[in-house]
Amino acid sequence: MEWHALGWVAVALYAGAEALSIRALVQPRGLAPVPLLMAVGLALHFADLELVGRALHSVPYRTIGGSMSLFGWMLGVSYAALLFRHRNRAIGPFLIPFVILFSAAGLLLPMASSAQAEETRGPLLALHVTFGILGYAAFTFSFVLSVLYLIQDRQIRRGRTGLLFARLPPLEAIGRMNRTSVLIGLAALGASVLFGLLWANRVWTTFADPKIEWAVATLAVYGYLLWMERRGWKGPRVAILSIFGYGLVLFSYTVVNIYFSRSHTFR
Amino acid sequence: MTAEARLLLLGWNFRVAETSLRDRIAFSADEVSEALRSLLGKGIVSEGVIVSTCHRSEIYGLFEEGDDAGDRVMRYVSEWRGLEPAALLRAGFQREGAEAARHLFRVASGLDSMALGESEVLGQVRQALRIARETGATRAVLHRLFEWALAAGKRVRTETEIGRHPLSLVSIGFELATKVFGNLAKRTVLVLGAGDTGTLFARQALDAGVRDLRIANRTSSTAAALAARVSGLAVAWEDVPRELAAADVVVGTTASPRPVVRRDDVEHAMRQRRGRPMFFLDLAVPADVEPAVRDVYNTFVYGLNDLEGVAEENRRRRAREVPRAEAILEEELSRFLAWMGSLSVVPTVADLRRRVDHLRDEELSRLPGPDRERFRTFADSLAARLLHEPMRRLKSEADAGRRLDRVEAVRHLFDLDREE
Repeated sequence: MEWHALGWVAVALYAGAEALSIRALVQPRGLAPVPLLMAVGLALHFADLELVGRALHSVPYRTIGGSMSLFGWMLGVSYAALLFRHRNRAIGPFLIPFVILFSAAGLLLPMASSAQAEETRGPLLALHVTFGILGYAAFTFSFVLSVLYLIQDRQIRRGRTGLLFARLPPLEAIGRMNRTSVLIGLAALGASVLFGLLWANRVWTTFADPKIEWAVATLAVYGYLLWMERRGWKGPRVAILSIFGYGLVLFSYTVVNIYFSRSHTFR
Repeated sequence: MTAEARLLLLGWNFRVAETSLRDRIAFSADEVSEALRSLLGKGIVSEGVIVSTCHRSEIYGLFEEGDDAGDRVMRYVSEWRGLEPAALLRAGFQREGAEAARHLFRVASGLDSMALGESEVLGQVRQALRIARETGATRAVLHRLFEWALAAGKRVRTETEIGRHPLSLVSIGFELATKVFGNLAKRTVLVLGAGDTGTLFARQALDAGVRDLRIANRTSSTAAALAARVSGLAVAWEDVPRELAAADVVVGTTASPRPVVRRDDVEHAMRQRRGRPMFFLDLAVPADVEPAVRDVYNTFVYGLNDLEGVAEENRRRRAREVPRAEAILEEELSRFLAWMGSLSVVPTVADLRRRVDHLRDEELSRLPGPDRERFRTFADSLAARLLHEPMRRLKSEADAGRRLDRVEAVRHLFDLDREE
C-alpha cells in the first residue's frame, strides 16, 4: 500500500484544520469544525497505519516512513487530548503544523523493510515503541508550548499588545497545557522504558545501553520539573526547563541513536 | 411634478464646536422627543432623529428638495436654546444627501469619535433611533438609514481591529492582567486607595465579574464605604503587607508620598504564594509600588508610563485600521444609496410595469399559441386599469415622507427589489 490514499486524505483534513485555525488568528471565528476535521483525520490516518502494518505483516514503525507517520499520528492524538482537556483552540495554529509535517514526511518516506528479526516480534516491544513515540510526541508539544509561553510572557512584560498577544492564550492556560503535555509524555515514556526493560530482560544480557541511560535522564528532568512546579516553581523557569528536557529528547533521538547505541537499532 | 425628498444633517460636534457651546445645545432624552415633535409639527422635516452625546448634537431629517430646511432647523435651535444664529452657524456643519448618510455611518462606526473606534457611540446611535421611533418621527427612510448605519458600525467592529485595542489605562491594565491569569472572575484583586481612580477600577473589576475584591485605604471608613458599593471587602491599612499573599492583582491608586508596596513584602508574599504570579498596576503619582518589586521573580509591574506607552501604540493600531473601516463603510453606503435611489417614484413605476409585464408573459406562455394574442390584449387592458389608480396616487402625493413610505410599501408588496 505505497499510495497511502487514506493517509493523504488525513493530511488534507489536518491542513484544513490548520487553515481554519490560521484564519481565526486574523478573524477570531470559524473554529467550530477544527475538532471534527482532526478527529476524522486521525481515524483515517490510523486506518492507513493499519493497512501499512498488514502489508508488512508487522508493526508499521519498522521503517523510517512508518515510524515518522506514527509519530505524526501520535502528535495528532496529543493535540486532541489537549483540546479535549483544556477546550482551548487558540493553540491550534502552532501545534497542528507539526502533525502535518511529520505525517506527510512519513507518507513520503519509503515504508518497505527487510525481513523482521525474530526477537523484535511480540507485544512487549510493540508497546515499548508505541509508548516511546507517544512520549516524544507529547514532549514535542511541551517544547512548543514552552516557547509560546516565553513569547507571551515577553510580550506581556513589554506591553506589546499586538496580534500574537491577542490570539495566544493567557500564560496560565499555556502553563496548564504544558503541564498536561509533560504528564502525558512522562507517563508514556515511563511505560515505554518499563516495557523496554521487560523485553530486554528476555533478549539482552545487559541493560548498559546509552539510549536507555538517556531515556532515564529525560525522565528524571521532566520528573524534576513536575516536582519543582509543585514546590513553587512557576512561570518562565518551568518553560526553560521544559525546553532543556526537549533538548535531551532530541539528543537521545539523533546523536545517541546514531552514534552511541549499538544494540538499540532494529531491523 | 413633486419634489424629491433629501436627507439633511445639521450638527455641532467636538471638531467644530467649543465644549461650552456643545453643552448649551445638548438635548436630554425628553428634549429630543420634544424637539422632534416640534420639527415635525412645524413641517420643517417629514422624518427626524437627533443624536445627542457629550461630544455631539446632530439633527438628521428628511426634507423636500429646494426647501430651506437647513436654515429653518438652525433658526429653531437658535430660538430653542436662545443662541445667536450666527454663532450656531459658525460652530456647526451641514450635510445633505449622501454626505449626510456617510457622516452617520462614520459616527456609528466610531471613525468620527474623539477616541477613534470607541464602541459607546453605537449604543448612543441605537438609543437615538429608539427615541425617534417611539416619538413617531421615523418612517421608511431614516429608520432604514439608522438601521443600516448600526449594521455597518457593527461590521466595522467585527471585521477590523479598530475597537479591539483599549485606550483607557484601566482597560489596558485589565487586558494585560487577563493575559496573565485568564478569567479574572476567580482571582483576588486588592485595590489600594478608595479615591476616584480606586473607585473607577473597583467598578470595572465588578463589571468584569471579579468576586473577591478587597479595598484598603488609610481612612478605613472610606474603604468600607467603597467596599459596600462594589460588594467588596474592606481591609485594614496595616494588613496590606499580609494581604499581598492572597492578591493576584494589586492596584495602587493612593496619594501616598512613599511606596506602599515594598520589595520585602512582595518577596515574602511570593514565598507564601508558592511562586504564583503577581500583577501590579500602579496608577498612583508618586508610585505606590517600589521599583525594586520589578526584580522579584514572576511579578508583572506596570506604572503609568508603561500604560501610556501601550495606549499610544493602541491608538496607532486603531489608526492603521481606518482605511479598511472606510472601505467597509463605502460598500455599505453605496448599497444604502442604491436602495434610497430605488425609492424615487419614477424607477418604482418602471419596475412595477416591468414586473407586471413579466408576470403577464409568464402566464401567456402557458397558453396554446393561437390564444396568446387574444389574451395578451385582455391582460394588457386589465393590468393598465389595475395599475392606473395606484400609480396616479403615488405620483401625486405631495408629502415627501409619505410618498417614500408608499413607494417603499409598493416595492415590498410587489417584491420589486428581488433580482430577476
